[in-house]
Amino acid sequence: MRAPRTTLSGTGPLVRFALRRDRVRLPVWIGVGAGLVATQSVSSQALYDSPQDLAAYAASVGANAATIALSGPPVGLVTVAGAVAFEISSFVVVLTALMAAATTGRHTRADEEAGRAELVRAARVGRHAPLAAAVLVAAAACLAMALAIGTAATATGLPADGSFLLGASVGAAGLVFTGVTAVAVQVAASARAAQGAVAAVLGAAFVLRALGDVQGSWPVWTSPIGWAQATHPYSGNRVLPLALCLVATGVLLAVAVALLDRRDLGSGLLAARPGPASAPWSLRSPLGLAVRLHRGAFAGWTAGLALLGVALGGLAGSVETLFGDNPEARAFLPDAASVVDAYLATALSMAALLSGAYAASAVLRARAEEAAGRAEPVLATATGRVAWLGGHAAVALVGATLLLLVAGAAVGAVRALATGEPAELGRLLGATGAYLPAVWVLAGLAVALSGLLPRPAAALAWAAVAYVTVTTFFAASLDWPGWVDAASPLAWTPLVPVDDAAAAPLAVLTAVAAALLGAGLAGFRHRDLVAG
Amino acid sequence: MTPVIEASGLVKTFGTARALDGLDLDVAPGEVHGFLGPNGAGKSTTIRVLLGLLRADGGSVRLLGGDPWRDAVALHRRLAYVPGDVTLWPGVTGGEAIDLLGRLQGGVDPARRAELLERFDLDPRKRARTYSKGNRQKVALVAALASDAELFVLDEPTSGLDPLMEAVFQEEVRALRAQGRTVLLSSHVLAEAENLCDRLTIVRRGRTVQSGTLAGMRHLTRTSVTVETDRPVHGLAQLPGVHDLRTDGGRSHMDVDTDALDDVVRLLAGCGVRSLVSAPPTLEELFLRHYGDELAADGIPALAVR
Repeated sequence: MRAPRTTLSGTGPLVRFALRRDRVRLPVWIGVGAGLVATQSVSSQALYDSPQDLAAYAASVGANAATIALSGPPVGLVTVAGAVAFEISSFVVVLTALMAAATTGRHTRADEEAGRAELVRAARVGRHAPLAAAVLVAAAACLAMALAIGTAATATGLPADGSFLLGASVGAAGLVFTGVTAVAVQVAASARAAQGAVAAVLGAAFVLRALGDVQGSWPVWTSPIGWAQATHPYSGNRVLPLALCLVATGVLLAVAVALLDRRDLGSGLLAARPGPASAPWSLRSPLGLAVRLHRGAFAGWTAGLALLGVALGGLAGSVETLFGDNPEARAFLPDAASVVDAYLATALSMAALLSGAYAASAVLRARAEEAAGRAEPVLATATGRVAWLGGHAAVALVGATLLLLVAGAAVGAVRALATGEPAELGRLLGATGAYLPAVWVLAGLAVALSGLLPRPAAALAWAAVAYVTVTTFFAASLDWPGWVDAASPLAWTPLVPVDDAAAAPLAVLTAVAAALLGAGLAGFRHRDLVAG
Repeated sequence: MTPVIEASGLVKTFGTARALDGLDLDVAPGEVHGFLGPNGAGKSTTIRVLLGLLRADGGSVRLLGGDPWRDAVALHRRLAYVPGDVTLWPGVTGGEAIDLLGRLQGGVDPARRAELLERFDLDPRKRARTYSKGNRQKVALVAALASDAELFVLDEPTSGLDPLMEAVFQEEVRALRAQGRTVLLSSHVLAEAENLCDRLTIVRRGRTVQSGTLAGMRHLTRTSVTVETDRPVHGLAQLPGVHDLRTDGGRSHMDVDTDALDDVVRLLAGCGVRSLVSAPPTLEELFLRHYGDELAADGIPALAVR
């Protein structure tokens, strides 16, 4: 048996190298986390600026199972700081868990699959060093996230002790998922399967926590997310649950090291199962290939948008309650029904934006295939350019349409259950249809960019999605000039169910989408393939 | 007979870089045509133009009697392609990729597919992310060879294959020729081209520098002669067409231009030849003569590689 010093040699340089490779990614993750907390802190302090507002808010969310399922235990809502922690902590915990999982996986199995780890391990680098380096970097990122969240919350005027405890609980949950990933990468058959396993654990942790919080019962304590939130920042300020996270991390890492000694470089303890020796009947056309390549991502997006629809539909109830208890709001808004409809229009806009983001990512997949050289062997067969790009575009358009309808149906179903009026489902599903042309425009734009401007296509398509998002949610509240959102398809969309579904703008948007699609396909027909 | 590939004066620029600079290529039906050149000579760019993946900026090109850019889909039904650097979809198995590419090209013969999988010793059930470079190459080769194409465009098809698999590949190419199919084989493995090709086109820096049969090219170059004689040979150095003469006691070594061979043999005959070894020029020497100045520019003597 070798001394631990030998199996760990080289860890230092590997840590420095990993930090250099992640010098952009990690600050982005951490910036988003701290930014979310700061935004929530500022907007909550503006919204609940009187004790009455806060009491109304606490009463409404305390009784709303959907909000509790989404956010966490409804504790400490007597202060604005407590409300901030309630609203944001589950999001930043999930974000930090994803950051930890991505970082740990990237520097272990993903590097082994790419063949880079072999080169590294052939140098004077110990058997445990790559795992140790990955874990150290992920842990450092969790610590940085904790400090950034604490600083962001304190800087926006929340009490320092609770703020840093909030940060510490988020970071501690990140550590647990570092450990979960460290184990998963030893066991799973591929790096991708390992990320899938971690996502499943994260999903299970979220569901157990939600179940426990809604019932106020023990399942909370089976979930690392539950442990993190059990610190009750700004109210109980309990530190002990953090110890639970640290112990779990230690156990998981010990298991990971034990498993690492029992597997070969590049393969997990579970052997990769052989796949089919011949292609299914469906894999015989460019469209069949596109469907095959997109189906995994589409399933993930569908689950995500269905959940979001349920959550957004559930929140409509608390909007109603909040309005009922708020005399100021009642003074300048006509009635509760139209307030709820205004909220529902915002919810559907949000779902439309996400569907548009899916459409852009699905179209850009075609461009990624081309850049990676995987379009070339297909286009060297009797497959035309238009059929190939059209296959990806068709999947993007149909997929995004289905996603938005799923989200709309989820919102409608939850509203129908909450109000006891089955007609709500049909009404909201119909309203969702008004947002489809805007989604198609985003898809068409991505096709046009891929066909006409292949190299900057991805950057420009994402910039367009970001522009539509920012103008939709901030143009009005930040008092920007009216022309700023003139190019946004959502700005031309009637905000059903508040507005009536006017046919003219929807027909124009559909025509614009079709023109962009045609221009993109024609452009791709007439240009060279561009690799890289 | 109309040529299968007829390209003349092809020009293709990428920004300021001129990848093809007046390249000519003629491939006759039923021949195995070697397409040789160092890295960056423009071989893959030419092939992409022939496949209609890139559009030439100048020159004319006909493929199987059609325009490779305009008639791409119709022409692709009649050809099969193996890229130089095969990239596959990570989650798709080798067998699925073979079926997909085969079906898109116009159909796969299941018996032929099974035979090729066996011959190339390829497990079709593994996902592409676990394949080595050689195995990815085999996937593309099996998909191409299992098709019923008239023209096979193979871009450095043996890179990454072990010698055993290279031998299988060479047998398959000979079988294609026996069936009267046309093969364009780009390579920088000279032994492979020497073994397989009826005719060759040598390119460098986007231009064709030589084209013809290997035998036809050999007359342009020198035969290497090593001779041992009883008496010293006088006057060899003065003969026109004798190069790089080195004498070591009774042994002489020289390179002789093809049209000077007769004079050299006459002179040697009078000196009591005890042993004579003459080697025809290899493609490698031919190649080195064409790229000799590039090597010299890099400080490498042209004849150091022998």
